[in-house]
Amino acid sequence: MAITDIPIFSMLRTRLQYSQERQRVLAENVANVDTPNYRARDLTAPKFPEPNEMPTATVSSVSLVRTENGHIAQFGGNSSFDTNRKTSYEVRPTGTAVNLEDEMIKVADNQMDFQAASALYTRSLGLLKVALGKR
Amino acid sequence: MDFLKSMQIAASGLRAQAGRMRVISENIANADSTPARPGADPYRRKIPTFTSEFDRALDARVVGVGKVTTDKSDFRVKYEPGHPAADASGNVKYPNVNALVEMTDMRDAQRSYEANVNVISATRRMIQRTIDILKA
Repeated sequence: MAITDIPIFSMLRTRLQYSQERQRVLAENVANVDTPNYRARDLTAPKFPEPNEMPTATVSSVSLVRTENGHIAQFGGNSSFDTNRKTSYEVRPTGTAVNLEDEMIKVADNQMDFQAASALYTRSLGLLKVALGKR
Repeated sequence: MDFLKSMQIAASGLRAQAGRMRVISENIANADSTPARPGADPYRRKIPTFTSEFDRALDARVVGVGKVTTDKSDFRVKYEPGHPAADASGNVKYPNVNALVEMTDMRDAQRSYEANVNVISATRRMIQRTIDILKA
């Protein structure tokens, strides 16, 4: 039995993967803050299934979804999260719709989420160690 | 590792903003560069542009400095008959650089640069957290 077969670990893994992917999208937004006609993107939070249908097997990997046929498909991995192309309320004359303050808050938020999930992961590992009698 | 990708995307932002700073500093340094000969054109203000390109290796849109174009607006003209570059009527053409505009651009570049640095340090802390799982 792999460690990812335990529901708590598989859930935390999904959460960590989500944070990781979101960080990539946010970095893209911040890097393109002065690019004309660039629109900020974000990932929508993962929906956890009902308790009676908890995932037991490994979780599918995280990736961007193709919302239009013109998008270049991502290599490998299927999508579990959507990009949330919510229109930004601030659009500059150059057509750039990235709100830097908003992105900074999201980055901090994402970092905190990641810290919480990784702390929980560490605690869960500690529980396993207690069960094994190593502590 | 995806976090390293995030860092590289933010690094492309840093590079682009640094390139922009280079052009701005060029403009400010040449704010008073008068023409070499009478009647010739002085330094023309440069404008950096940004392009977003899809990086297949990173699977993301990274940013880069695109073509550096020139500002087509009129030059400042001052009446200085004694100047070596003065034309027949005693006018000297000065570059179309406006210090206020350059300062505003510089602040903007600085702000964007700091935002990218912020993303890098946040990502770095997240990587550190991942490593901390091993230490537990």
